[in-house]
Amino acid sequence: MLEDLRYRTRALFRHNEVETELDEELRFHFDKQVEKYMRSGMTEEEAKRRTRIDFGGHEQVKEDCREARGTAFVELTLQDTKYAFRQLLTNKTFSLVMIVTLALSIGANSAIFSVINGVLLKRLPYSQPDRLVRIFLSSREYPKFPLNPFDFLDFRARNHSFSSIAAFTRGDVQLSGDGEPERLNGFGITSGYFRVLGLQPQLGREFDFQAEIPGNGLQVILSDRLWRSRFGADPNIIGRKVTMNMQPFTVIGVMPAGTEHPGNEYHAVAYGESVDVWWPFSFAGNPNQRGSHFIEGIGRLKDDVSHERARAELNAIMNQIAREHGSENSGWTVLVVPLYTELVGTSRQLLLVLLGSVGIVLLIACANAANLLMVRASTRQREIAVRLAMGAPRSRVVRQLLTESLLISFTGGALGLALAYGGVRALVSLLPADFPRAHDIHVSGPVLAFTLLVSFITGILFGLAPALQASRTDPKEGLQKSGRTSTASRNQGRLRNALVIAEVSLASVLLIGAGLMLRTFLNLIHLNPGFQQDHLLTASLSLPHAQYKTNEQTAQFFQRLTSSLNALPGVESAGAGSDLPWTGYDENAGGFTIEGKKQANQEYHARYHMATPGYFSAMGIPLLEGRFFTEADKKDAPQALIINHTMAEQYWPHEDVIGKRMTFQDVPKKDSDWMTIVGVVGDVKDQPNSPGAEPAFWWSEFQVAQSDMSIAIRTHSDPRQVIDGLRDAVHRLDPELAVADIKLMDSVVDTSVSTPRFTFVLVGLFAALAILLAAIGAYGVIAYTVSQRTSEFGLRVALGAQRSDLLRMVLFQSAKLAVPGTILGLLLALSLGRVMQNLIYGVNAADPAILFSVVLLVLTVALIASYVPARRASRSDPMVTLRAE
Amino acid sequence: MTERIELPQGTLDLLILRTLLTGAQHGWAISERVQQVSSEVLSIQQGSLYPALHRLERRGWIKAHWGTSDNNRRAKYYELTRTGEKQLEQETEAWRKLTVAVAQVLEGA
Repeated sequence: MLEDLRYRTRALFRHNEVETELDEELRFHFDKQVEKYMRSGMTEEEAKRRTRIDFGGHEQVKEDCREARGTAFVELTLQDTKYAFRQLLTNKTFSLVMIVTLALSIGANSAIFSVINGVLLKRLPYSQPDRLVRIFLSSREYPKFPLNPFDFLDFRARNHSFSSIAAFTRGDVQLSGDGEPERLNGFGITSGYFRVLGLQPQLGREFDFQAEIPGNGLQVILSDRLWRSRFGADPNIIGRKVTMNMQPFTVIGVMPAGTEHPGNEYHAVAYGESVDVWWPFSFAGNPNQRGSHFIEGIGRLKDDVSHERARAELNAIMNQIAREHGSENSGWTVLVVPLYTELVGTSRQLLLVLLGSVGIVLLIACANAANLLMVRASTRQREIAVRLAMGAPRSRVVRQLLTESLLISFTGGALGLALAYGGVRALVSLLPADFPRAHDIHVSGPVLAFTLLVSFITGILFGLAPALQASRTDPKEGLQKSGRTSTASRNQGRLRNALVIAEVSLASVLLIGAGLMLRTFLNLIHLNPGFQQDHLLTASLSLPHAQYKTNEQTAQFFQRLTSSLNALPGVESAGAGSDLPWTGYDENAGGFTIEGKKQANQEYHARYHMATPGYFSAMGIPLLEGRFFTEADKKDAPQALIINHTMAEQYWPHEDVIGKRMTFQDVPKKDSDWMTIVGVVGDVKDQPNSPGAEPAFWWSEFQVAQSDMSIAIRTHSDPRQVIDGLRDAVHRLDPELAVADIKLMDSVVDTSVSTPRFTFVLVGLFAALAILLAAIGAYGVIAYTVSQRTSEFGLRVALGAQRSDLLRMVLFQSAKLAVPGTILGLLLALSLGRVMQNLIYGVNAADPAILFSVVLLVLTVALIASYVPARRASRSDPMVTLRAE
Repeated sequence: MTERIELPQGTLDLLILRTLLTGAQHGWAISERVQQVSSEVLSIQQGSLYPALHRLERRGWIKAHWGTSDNNRRAKYYELTRTGEKQLEQETEAWRKLTVAVAQVLEGA
């Protein structure tokens, strides 16, 4: 073994010496043999000839010896690579076109793979993440709904499927004390929440069951970021009191850096290190009233329990609960969703579509490269014929040509990786703000491995067919013909045409995809949102309960704030609402009764919001009937409601709704139990791509006193000019209050269409690349055939053909490739339409306008690509041809 | 001239090793020797001899050194190594068993 290694090492590193020795050895043998023959009476001449015949191919023997030395592979590769380099340098344009197109397509693949690796493939940063599941409720009306806290307690007490189970709910807090007051992303969590995730605090501990008891909740766990930025990474922070929501909370733990929020559905906070503080969730209220749902479940399955079994068990528990607590708990089924699915579920399809798109681009690039190689191989026929005649086996020729294509693909891959490095940054900046795991996207080890693999496969893919074809060159024929005029075999011609047709069809598929995404994007940005996004500044405020104990205090605060905002110079109107459109708000209220209507099995439900008088005019939501709220809709006045158009249509079809009443009381006794509809406003959908608006109503903020409100200020000029005015107005009323999320409504809208924009930009980019490559491919083939047929064209001209005839002939040849390619592409796109269904909005996957434009575009591009060679053909000079023949 | 027989697979190594048992030889001498001893029945083609020599050298069964031939030319001499001798013994044994067995089958069947 050691001997073997020593031998091979010498053979490899003292290559020249070993080769000279071999030469000398073989020459010695030769001479001895000649000597022998001469002794038997042959002339020297004759003896040498005989010996040469005995010897067989001298080169072949040497080759076999190299093989026997066991270093042939490395040596040949080095030799082939050197030769391949020379080949690339002698044909610079050819090499450049191949390398650049491959770099672009491999780079695009690497970039998209970086995203897929970060988002889909990389392990979630929890221990045994595949054991983690999210727990939701589901009913006919609400496919995915939060849990009721007391239902959760029963789940926790009765289940046998989970090794640990916890619940959490969004609850932001306001940090005050040293420095500017700050709104923090906060979550109320049950005991064991971090144990479920498999995370340990770096300081202190997590909450125990005691902390869940109402009144014990003034404890907090800080994130690493907050601990460093606000508390100077104080190692003695445990036990310290911090002021949150104007109350003293005791710090009992600090989580380490890298503690990622597993994502949530209800008042969603993006996945990632997006949470600043965790406070103990306390189970307050009456355990027998289970109508409100606002906490989300997460659990760690025991090792041998599948999520189906866990779901079956939780459903059985849910049925028990329904028997014990009555109708409020019926109609729900429990959903158990693997955390991974929950986190990346929606982005998965988008990413796979993108991967498919770049894959198509790469395939086109391969087809292109194969075509170019075949053109070149036919001009290199002579060289190959010489090698074959010298006794090189065909496998050597194939190997040499494959080395060349691999050299090209790896050079392209290396450049592509550099492109991907820059591209990934651009990609991440384009990603929708709430895209899961965006911060995990880097050009990393797996991306490098992927790029190498793709480069290798690409090199083989585009190199193999041309190499095999070239190796089939007949040495005799190849030597007789001069390199230039040799014609490609019929087979080769057919293969090249097929490749171009494939390129055109794949490019058509991508163009149709890009068309659909463009349509979707345009539909979304041009649809009437139901509000006016321009000249609108928004912010959010959260009044701490400790300080604003009564509804009067809260109502008064918002009343004073909005009136001082309305008085600011440049402000057209200002108001406050419980939420802003398109920000993911979907609070639902059900179980109300409409006066004079029987509940014929119909459950009324609607989105509920709160608003001050100025809110609708500030948002630009139009009043359709009745009136907006006024300062008079306050405590002690009759309860007023504003509803949206959909609610009016759905629950009072063809009726005049103004003055109609509804109630949440099961048995309304007095007038004040009823709420009266005073106005109807225009519809606003939950999200720009929601199929339609949900029924919705607004309470008067001055009557219900919601403490978390969004501010909307409509201005005459640039809304940014009133930011300082807003801060001053708030701080005049309460210097401790944080003004959070100051944003233009324009940017809120922008964020809400960022996913379709992202998809459109990328698919569009890939489609542009694809059609460019296909055009190069078509041009290459047509130009080559034209150059092959120069003499034929010359003859035709000599025989009286019109130049326009020749032009038409070549263009017709190009159409023979482009038309079937486009048709194939259309069919392919139609059959793939299903894949895009969830990504498109307001457009049919088989939209005729898009299909027609793509056909037109592809045919035009094919025409342009073949026009240059066609013109060259039409200028064929008969004299040149005749002289040459 | 006697009719020559193609060497069965794997026997070339055996022949080379056996030839070298009598002492170091260069390539040409090995092929001559085999031809002679086999009464011109076996002949080794140069095309297979040298790759085989290189292969055996790599395996450490033979080693090579440069010496001077009878007519004062530099020639590469091969000789058996210790492992080569052992290998020869094993292969000879295996070959005997094989030929006996094959003969038995041919005659008895």
